[in-house]
Parts: sequence; C-alpha cells; structure tokens
Amino acid sequence: MAVSSEFKRSRELFINLTQRELKGKYKRTVLGQLWSLANPLALMLVYTFVFAFIFRIAPPVGSPSGLDAFPLWLLCGLLPWIFFSNVVQQGMGVLLANEGLIKKVYFPRNVLIFSSAASLAVNWGIEMMVLIVALVIAGAYGVIVWLPVVIFFMFLLAVFAVGIALMLSIANVHFRDTQYFVGIILQLGMYLTPVIYPISLVQVQSDRFGSLFGVFSLVDLYRLNPMERFLSAFRSLLYDNTWPALGDTVACVLISAVVFALGWVVFRRNERKLAEIL
Amino acid sequence: MTEVAVHIDDVSKKFRLYKERNQSLKSAIMRGRKSVHEDFWALNDISFDINTGETFGLVGDNGSGKSTLLKCMAQILYPDKGSIAMKGRVAALLEVGSGFHPELSGRENIFLNGSILGMSKQEIVKKFDSIVDFSGVSEFIDQPVKNYSSGMYVRLGFSVAIHVDPDILLVDEVLAVGDETFQQKCADKFVEFRRDGKTVIIVSHALGTMMTMCDRLAWLSHGELQAVGNPESVVAEYRGVAQ
Ligand SMILES: Nc1ncnc2c1ncn2[C@@H]1O[C@H](COP(=O)(O)OP(=O)(O)OP(=O)(O)O)[C@@H](O)[C@H]1O
Ligand SMILES: [Mg+2]
Repeated sequence: MAVSSEFKRSRELFINLTQRELKGKYKRTVLGQLWSLANPLALMLVYTFVFAFIFRIAPPVGSPSGLDAFPLWLLCGLLPWIFFSNVVQQGMGVLLANEGLIKKVYFPRNVLIFSSAASLAVNWGIEMMVLIVALVIAGAYGVIVWLPVVIFFMFLLAVFAVGIALMLSIANVHFRDTQYFVGIILQLGMYLTPVIYPISLVQVQSDRFGSLFGVFSLVDLYRLNPMERFLSAFRSLLYDNTWPALGDTVACVLISAVVFALGWVVFRRNERKLAEIL
Repeated sequence: MTEVAVHIDDVSKKFRLYKERNQSLKSAIMRGRKSVHEDFWALNDISFDINTGETFGLVGDNGSGKSTLLKCMAQILYPDKGSIAMKGRVAALLEVGSGFHPELSGRENIFLNGSILGMSKQEIVKKFDSIVDFSGVSEFIDQPVKNYSSGMYVRLGFSVAIHVDPDILLVDEVLAVGDETFQQKCADKFVEFRRDGKTVIIVSHALGTMMTMCDRLAWLSHGELQAVGNPESVVAEYRGVAQ
C-alpha cells in the first residue's frame, strides 16, 4: 500500500512539474509554444543550405516511399537527435536547478528528471506530428501505417535518454564539470552520428581503408554509437516507410533497457544523499 | 494510553566539512583518492519519543542541530546511525513557498506546490477555496507570483503547506512570517491541529511562545540532547546555562 500511494504521489507531482515546465517556458511570449518549432526549423534551413546546396550531399532516395528531399530526410534524424540531446542536457542540470526544493521538501527526486524529459517529449511529439504531415504532403502516404512503430521507437529513445540523464545528473552534482564536458560531447556527437549526412558516405571511406587491425572496419566502429541505430530506425520508418533493420531494433531495445536500468540504480543509490551534497 | 508518533532511536548525523571544495574534476584528480574533509557530527546519539497529539518544541543555540534533526524527520537528510520512525503522514514547513514558479499565477502555483507537498489533485481542488481564503491573497490569485509582495508570497506558501493536513507537522521557524493578523491566523491553526489530535513539532527561538504553545520541549546543544520534558523546567535549565 505504501508503495502504491508513493507511486500515486509521484505521478501527480510528475504531471504538475511537467506542466510547470511547459507553461512556464513560453509565458509572456507572443508565439508561445510555436517557439519550440522555431529551433529545428532554423537548423533545417541552415543545414539544408550548407550541406545539400553547398556541399551537395545527396541522401538516398526513400524506398519504397520514393521520397527524395534533403530537408525531410534531415528532419527524420535531426528531430530525434535534438530531443535526445535536450533530455540529456536539461536532465543533467535539473538537480542543481531545483536545489532549493531538494533541500527543503521530501519528494521522490527522480520525478525531476522524468518531468524534464516529459516536457521535452511533448515538444518533440509536436515536432514529429508536423514532420509527419509534411511527409504525407510530400507523398509518403505510407508513413501513416508506421505510426505505431514510430511511437514505439520514440518511447525507446526517451527511455534511453532518461537513463543517461539519470546517471549524468548524479555525476553533475559531484563534479560540476560534467555539464560542460557533456555539452561538448553532444556537439561532437551530432557530427559523429549520421544526422546531416548519410552513413553511406562513411561506408565509402571505410571501404577505402579496409579493415582496421584486421578485425573491424571503420564503419563497424562508427556504428558502436547507439544513436546511429536509433536514427537509422527512424529514417527507415519515416523516410523509407519500411521496417527498421532487425539488428537496429534489437540494439535499440537492449541499449535502452540496459542504460535505463543502470541509470535507475545509480540514481537510487545516490538520491538520499542529494540534500547534503548539493 | 499514549501512542508514539515519532520514535527517535540513537540518531547521529555526520556532515563532511570540506577544507577546500571546488567540485571540479581537476581538484578531485589533484588531491588523488583521498578527499580533504573532516567529519562533523551535527547530531550525537539522540533518542526520545514524541507522542501522538503532542505539540513538541525543539530549542537550542544557533547551530545546535535543531534543523538537522527536523530534516532527518522529514526524510530530507538520512541519519548515519540510528533510525527514526514516523507514524502517519508527515508535512514539513522548512521553507514556505519553495517550489513556486515565479511566472505562473498564484492559482497554478497552489496546484504545483500542493503536489510537491504530496496532495492529490482532487484534494487540492476540494481545499482550493480554503487555501486562498486562508492566505488572504484572493484578489491576486490569477497574477504571477513574482508580482507578489514577499509577505504575500510567504502567506500563500504557508497556506498551501498547512492544508496538506498531515498527521505530523514539522515547523522550522516559519512562525514569524506575515503581519500580525496572519500570525494570529497561524496560531489559531495550530490550536486547531492540536484539537484534532495531530502532532506538531516546532523549532523556534521564541522561548516565551514555545512555553505557552508546547506540551513538552527538548533542548539541544552542540548536537547533544540536554533535556526533554516540561517546558518551564527545560527553558529554565536552558536559560540557566545561557547566563
Ligand atoms: N549540509 C551541511 N553541510 C555541512 N554542515 C552542515 C550542513 N547542514 C548543517 N550543518 C552544520 O550542522 C550544524 C547544525 O546546523 P542546524 O542547521 O541543524 O542548526 P540549528 O540548530 O537549526 O541552528 P539555527 O538556530 O541557527 O537554525 C551547524 O554547525 C551547521 O554548520
Ligand atoms: Mg535552524
């Protein structure tokens, strides 16, 4: 009974904190929630100009969807990446930001991470809906059929991101360097993940070098990045309108489960000390 | 036939006092594996019981460990030794209005703060009018709280906290908030709490008020329990040492 009432309490608090985040953020702005769309849109324009127009990167034609549009191809990977990056970055700082609360009130601390991620997930959901409408308008009607699978992968990515945020939030309380370090890693990560260029370009270079140390190729190394798996799955579903590769699916499920479990344990073991060490 | 609401058993609390603490990776690596800190025992083997329905006071000099003990009861800090058992729902007024979001209105903040303090939505809806009424800021309830005066801010926070309707209420020096009418309201509320058989634990330096309000007092000094018992004698003892 104690556990269920604790859970109920967390749920209530979770909903309220998420609302606080969503409502407080764009208060007193004319465009309100629309601002959350402005950032990905601006990035899309810049990247399309630089990488499709100037560098002439050509993404593969979607099959079977038949899509051939860099901006749409870009957004299928960019939106999940921005979400991931925001959850990690915001989640990492949320314990410090709520120091006053943690020191004065007892409540389940992990709710802070979850509600920060949830508010970002709401924005991401809106972005994805806009993207899907755009995809349909561009002729990829098939995407409608894949919506449930898209939602499943969105859930997996959220779980993965929250797992990392849980771990890093604790690390950040101990060492404030964490947030700056991770900020840089995320910036680099975007270029080491096929967000703005297709992995086929990496494959080309990898084939040129052949196998490294006779065991793995450059592209094998490149694909150790879990976000590569996620983006590949999202592009299969949204841009190609087909099943993601089985290997990617298995990798996404396993990675998110393991990372979340790890994050949960790390957080559990440290949350009691938070009021003291903050 | 007295029931125990709070059972404090041999509680000790240690803080680490860092000689030099900049929480950076560089300093951690520079000082190697052993960190430079001293253990400071803010509480030492404290044991006593508080009965259900009692209004109990904690007194002592600044830095004697009163707030630390209260935070251990509120599960914000965890004792390094010993244990604390609390019977029933606990609400702590350690700082009122923490968790208010400045851009949100008073109304929205009541819901937010209420849920932080552990109230369900139905509960808040049910008590909403009473909360606003008690706070006396009803005209401004749809204004963002950053436009509140500091007194209004505190009144609203206090009003939310007091409506949590706990079995055990922990209060740390927030009695002195607000103007006189509001203080009177608060005092009345405590009387009501006591009438309803709730346990109230108060930390304060206002010895006069403590003597009239509390059934029993505990006196802490440098983290040690000096005396527990009837307010007059504990205060007399405490004052005796202070002189
Ligand atoms: N987070 C902390 N880290 C290190 N030391 C702490 C911490 N919190 C409290 N202390 C120390 O513990 C001792 C007791 O502090 P506490 O706040 O319990 O005193 P208090 O009795 O409430 O005093 P006051 O009457 O001034 O409110 C103090 O010496 C304080 O410096
Ligand atoms: Mg104190």
